[in-house]
Amino acid sequence: MSLHVPRALTAAIASFALMQPALAHEQAGVAGGLVSGLLHPVTGIDHLIAMVAVGIWGAQLGAPAIWILPITFPLVMAVGGVLGVLHVPLPMPELMIAASAVILGVAVAARLRLPFAAAALIVAIFAIFHGHAHGAELPRAANALAYGVGFVTATGLLHLFGIAIGTLTRWPAGERVIQGLGAGIAGIGCYFLAQGLGAVA
Amino acid sequence: MKPKSVRVLMAAAILLTGTSAADAHIIAARLGDFYMGASHPLTDLQDVVLWIATGVLAGTLGASKGRWLIPVFPLGLLAGLALAPVVGTVSTQLADATMMLAIGMLLAAATQVPTLALCAIAFAVAVLRGAANGAELGPETDRLLFAAGLACAGYGVVTLTMALTVVFKRTASDSVTSWRAIAIRALGGWIAAIGLMMASLVLAS
Repeated sequence: MSLHVPRALTAAIASFALMQPALAHEQAGVAGGLVSGLLHPVTGIDHLIAMVAVGIWGAQLGAPAIWILPITFPLVMAVGGVLGVLHVPLPMPELMIAASAVILGVAVAARLRLPFAAAALIVAIFAIFHGHAHGAELPRAANALAYGVGFVTATGLLHLFGIAIGTLTRWPAGERVIQGLGAGIAGIGCYFLAQGLGAVA
Repeated sequence: MKPKSVRVLMAAAILLTGTSAADAHIIAARLGDFYMGASHPLTDLQDVVLWIATGVLAGTLGASKGRWLIPVFPLGLLAGLALAPVVGTVSTQLADATMMLAIGMLLAAATQVPTLALCAIAFAVAVLRGAANGAELGPETDRLLFAAGLACAGYGVVTLTMALTVVFKRTASDSVTSWRAIAIRALGGWIAAIGLMMASLVLAS
């Protein structure tokens, strides 16, 4: 028995491994579009920290912001993406993106409680700039739909990550940790701001 | 006894895993175009996103409204397939993106769509995708089998998505701020964003 079981397992594994049917559905650029869409928002540190900061700030603001944010943010960002794809110029995109990390980081660190409309306006302006950058840097060869799916999914997941961190505000110690994170985000944003202004090589 | 049972298990496992190979032979021989019709849309991202969006929209409106789609959607696919030779190989990408944007916005806003409008949207999606799938038919494909497969896949996907959404939402009179309702609205926002990005990319290229 003890000898037969591994043999049966081996046989089963072998027959599973050998039966893979060739189901390739050739669609040029789907895999490439998905991967670049998924990785694009995650690979730029300035984008990544700003997205997470938006999620954390939303969680800090509480009731309406925490659930309106995940619904509308990808949409506003896609509007920015449209502007980027069509190459509509926006003023100083790199500086605005670095500034967004600074301002959002400070807002989280200071537990800034703005009225919902003001917070939504700030986030929306930054979302358009972030979307613009992603749209302008889009690889042309990639499948459009796959890129969109990957891009929106990655952004949405970054948000959820931020909101999940933001739920730490329920505990006093967690609140301190989050304020520290906000300060860190603002610090990294300052670095990118300085880089954008040409102060750091 | 014990070694024998292991051997029987082994044989059964091999036989079971071997069945897909037998399927492949059938596909090559006769019923192939049925399976092609059923599997073709499931391997295409545009079909998957749009069909699921339609199913989720119907599911959020409740079973009494959504069940109309069970006949409407497959019939729409058949109508689109019949239209395919007329339309030819026109790219449906922009129309697909617009439908994604529209359905996503309706979902995100948690709109109470009337039954007739829901049926019209679903029919439009089905005709669009039916035509797009039909455009890729070869001259030697059996159209009847392909149409049957496509309609079956459409029926299955829409009905299952709808049922899952209804179960997920639990009650029709759920408050708009419960996390289940929010999750579905957020999904709608994502679908709308995908549609918007896709439309711009199609327009730019």
